[in-house]
Amino acid sequence: MKLSTQILLGFSLIIVLSVVNSYVNYTLSQQVNQNSTFLTNSETIIRNSGRLNKSIIDMQSAFRGYLLTDDDDFLEPYYSSLKEIPTLFKEQSQLVQEYPVHRQRLDSIKVLHQEWIDYANSLISAKKKLGDKGDYETLFNTRFRKQFGQKLNNQISDKFREFDRYEYKVRQVRRETLSESISQTNTYSIIFLGVIICIGAISTIYIVRLISKRIAAMVNVAHNISNGNFVNVEDNQNDELTSLSTSLNIMSATLNKNIRELEKRNNELNQFAYVVSHDLKAPLRGIYNVTQWIEEDLQTELSPSLKRYLNIIPERIARMEGLIDGLLDYARIAREKPLKEYVDVNILVRDIVDDIVPKDTEISIGRLPGFATDKLRLEQVFSNLISNAVKYGSAEHPRIGIDCHELPKFYEFTVSDNGIGIDPGYHDKIFVIFQTLREKNAKESTGIGLAIVKKILDDQHCSIRVESEPGHGSSFIFTWNKN
Amino acid sequence: MKKNVILLVEDDELDVISVQRSLKKLDQEYELHNAYNGVEALELLRGRKGHDGIIPDVILLDLNMPKMNGIEFLKELRKDEQLKDVKVFIMTTSGEETDRKEADQLGISGYLIKPLNFTDNRKRTDSLDAFFQFHIRKILAN
Repeated sequence: MKLSTQILLGFSLIIVLSVVNSYVNYTLSQQVNQNSTFLTNSETIIRNSGRLNKSIIDMQSAFRGYLLTDDDDFLEPYYSSLKEIPTLFKEQSQLVQEYPVHRQRLDSIKVLHQEWIDYANSLISAKKKLGDKGDYETLFNTRFRKQFGQKLNNQISDKFREFDRYEYKVRQVRRETLSESISQTNTYSIIFLGVIICIGAISTIYIVRLISKRIAAMVNVAHNISNGNFVNVEDNQNDELTSLSTSLNIMSATLNKNIRELEKRNNELNQFAYVVSHDLKAPLRGIYNVTQWIEEDLQTELSPSLKRYLNIIPERIARMEGLIDGLLDYARIAREKPLKEYVDVNILVRDIVDDIVPKDTEISIGRLPGFATDKLRLEQVFSNLISNAVKYGSAEHPRIGIDCHELPKFYEFTVSDNGIGIDPGYHDKIFVIFQTLREKNAKESTGIGLAIVKKILDDQHCSIRVESEPGHGSSFIFTWNKN
Repeated sequence: MKKNVILLVEDDELDVISVQRSLKKLDQEYELHNAYNGVEALELLRGRKGHDGIIPDVILLDLNMPKMNGIEFLKELRKDEQLKDVKVFIMTTSGEETDRKEADQLGISGYLIKPLNFTDNRKRTDSLDAFFQFHIRKILAN
């Protein structure tokens, strides 16, 4: 599966879970709302029921008071309740519209109450028309004395009690449902939150592990490649990182192939230089010999100008030979394997000086080290630099100095002279093969010596620099690895 | 007096002339035969097409030659009853130890390594002259 798909999937899952969580919470809170509305309703119903009950009882008390005292003042609350009660009934019947049990009870209360009003009204009006005394007496004796109203009142009270009891029960149920739905909401929220956190954490850890481990592998491969080690990275997944590592492998293979090709070409070139140099020497030798023989055989007969011409040939041949030998040396550096042995640089330098430095040159050699290194190449570097110091040295009082300065990882050698010096504009040019700052017929200047030095030092990741001003001598300073 | 016979086995014309000039400087009487490789040399020695073979006093032998090189030629020579005692001098540019050892085992009278570096061409001629003065002159003088 693609990496981006996996990441997208992880995030989508988290988002979907969040949405579901929100929806569930919303639904649960709706439920809570509904339950709390029910509760409020129920409280109103109870309150109303209380008011209604009280009004009815007030009426009954007022009625009894009036009958006993015959005082009209008692009838005031009777009439006000009589006016108020129908409104209360109406309100209550609206509230309990959806509850048939309540409605039925309320209706029967209404009926009983109406019956009581009829009874009370008949007694009051009878009492008020006292002229017809017998009627009131009859009523009082047949109904009031027989507890007719009292019975009705008791029935109404019973109905109210039933009504309230029922409503209390309903309210209890509602309250329980409400607290249940609140705790349910909490539980669901916690569970969903936990699941989301778990999935988020797991997918994050999974992706981080998946990516970082493989990226580390690729970094390792890149590091290897930079060290010339063309390894491959193994990745058998099938995503973007896999295509990246595949590209890395292709790059590694291509680099490897190209480097091998380059090495092969380089070897061929060295071989070529060696063979060509060797084969170029043979015909030169022939020309040289024949010129000599002509000179020997015709010594007496040669005109001075012809002698001069004949002398030019060996000069130029010697120069040609110098070039070929230089090329051979140049090719040899690459062909010959480095061989480490203990080298006393004092002895090495002394031998070179004895070999190529004329006796009239003033030589100063500082303290030079002794260590295990590639003798052939160090010798080539010193002999080329010292021979340059001789070639381009001062004509009058030639002086050559060789010194060493020890650094943590390198030795820094200096070969200096008091000769003609080099213009700073040419300081880079002199290390390029066949570059010589001398005229072309100067026999000893082939332009290969410093190129060989540079190549040897480059191969070992060492450096060389020159400090020089025209007329003030030159110092060649190069580093050489201690091991 | 019978002239001393020298056989030069050498493929390089230049070296042939070099040898001729050095021999001339010895100021002796001699008869010089020339072969350009081992096969030709054996033909000269054993005779061909009605010609008699020659039995030289000295063979001057190059090692690096086409068809049959110096070492192979020397082996053939040492197998031949008539020729096995002929004095052989090696003249070569090869400084290889193996060549030298092999030649020594087959019995040689002298071994000259021609200087390879020809800036020393003077040295080369000189060394050839000196070699001839030292080794060949005595033989030719007898």
